[in-house]
Amino acid sequence: MKKSNVAMLIVFLALIPLTLFLGDKLPGKGYYITGVLIIIELSVPFFMAFEKRKPQARELVILAVMIALAVIGRVAIPIPHFKAAFAIIMLTGIAFGPEAGFIVGAITAFASNFFYGQGAYMPWQMMAYGAGGMLAGFVFIKNKIPKKPWIMAIFGFLAVVIWIGPLLDTSHIFIMMPEINISTITASLASGFPVNVSQGLCTALMMLVFGKPLLEKLDRVKQKYGMLEDENGI
Amino acid sequence: MKDDAFSKLHPAVNVLFFIGAICFGVLLQHPVYLLAGIFASGVYYFLLGGRKEIKNLLLMIPLFIFITLFNPIVNTRGVTVLFTYFDRPYTLEALIYGVAVAATFVLMILWFGCYGKVLTGDKVTCLFGNLAPSLSLLLVMVFRMIPNLLQKAKQIIGVRSSIGKGTAGKSSIKDKLGSGMTVIGVLTSWALEGSITTSDSMRSRGYGATKRTSFMVYRMTKTDWVLTLIMLTLLGIVVFFAANGGMNAEFLPERNITPINGFNVIGFIAYLGYLMIPTILNVKEVIQWNISESKI
Repeated sequence: MKKSNVAMLIVFLALIPLTLFLGDKLPGKGYYITGVLIIIELSVPFFMAFEKRKPQARELVILAVMIALAVIGRVAIPIPHFKAAFAIIMLTGIAFGPEAGFIVGAITAFASNFFYGQGAYMPWQMMAYGAGGMLAGFVFIKNKIPKKPWIMAIFGFLAVVIWIGPLLDTSHIFIMMPEINISTITASLASGFPVNVSQGLCTALMMLVFGKPLLEKLDRVKQKYGMLEDENGI
Repeated sequence: MKDDAFSKLHPAVNVLFFIGAICFGVLLQHPVYLLAGIFASGVYYFLLGGRKEIKNLLLMIPLFIFITLFNPIVNTRGVTVLFTYFDRPYTLEALIYGVAVAATFVLMILWFGCYGKVLTGDKVTCLFGNLAPSLSLLLVMVFRMIPNLLQKAKQIIGVRSSIGKGTAGKSSIKDKLGSGMTVIGVLTSWALEGSITTSDSMRSRGYGATKRTSFMVYRMTKTDWVLTLIMLTLLGIVVFFAANGGMNAEFLPERNITPINGFNVIGFIAYLGYLMIPTILNVKEVIQWNISESKI
């Protein structure tokens, strides 16, 4: 068995139940700490798998470019509240697969916090962005679903509204709400819904206009320099 | 902030401090402890940011009041009913609990604000350099690429506006969007081509040939060890008193706040001392500087 799989098993069978058990005993808003710990435990196997693979220089540089683009996306398009990051993360997932999508998403959230200010929501942001990139990678894996702009646009909208957005909104439950129960959960998710819809529309628009050109550019680089193709190559 | 004495310590010491400060800030709901936390984090936030942060600090006040008043609306438990609206009680206990919730929230904003100023990108990559070499390298490249791409984006926008394809403030959203997409497209092509050069250069210098070593700017000095020891001792004292119920505070349905007297004072002093470590270090540095200056 691969080491990262063993790590995954340990996390799911032992660490998370243990954290939940001990976290329940914490006083005050201990559930914030429990939440952060579980997010860290969930993401460690993914990062471990990435490290163990010893990614080559070309792969690292391409991922860095995509992350930097996602972080500065809001500078290039001078429209307030227009977020290009989700679309770029998902397109990376579509082009390079779920793992690259996760890494680009999570590191985008991590890095953008250094530029736009740190907050208590950072772990949730990393999880949500990473999960978004990963989902895009899984959905469009092996060309089963055609990578047409309008299909990607619909996928982008749905992914933001029912997957990334709600994952981000869970941070409000842990940080702002005095306690966790059904009513505070629904209140948090409902208050985030309009924002998610608008972000979803941005993402859909971005996919529609920018999706095909970006994928073509990535394909061109792939073809021209033969990268990210064979596992041990480059 | 390079002038801050606490920021000059080893990043591991900084991380340990913030983990302790944020965890206990979240866990301890006792009003006096929350007040101590807000005081310590506010002072340190001010020390880090200077005068221009006063505005941010003042912004915390309306936030505080809003969350306090909002809590009894969600939370109807409590014994003392202040008034009722739409058949829902607005209780004193829930209001007081709201103060604690608001204080925790403000505390987190302030501590995370300090954290963002102390733990800069280079420190984070230094910390994780040996643990996750590929990820830290990725992070380093991202940190370098962001200003680089920003500069390039400004160049592209400038060139486009000089050939009459730029967007001004009054352009329509459609124009702005189209222009933005073109800018991102050009930027992507340029960055991807550039990345090939970078990676070829990395490969020809032997990236991935052997185990990577990393240059450490920060070393654990004697001060760092001493401070770590002090911090762990203080945290130990706080945990001891917290476990014995010296810091308990219950709000709902009835108020039950442990008074700080007798032995419990030690726990409080330990907590405040822990939180004030960065501030004390800064003050100590200023005093030392003044003394050495007056000797000249």
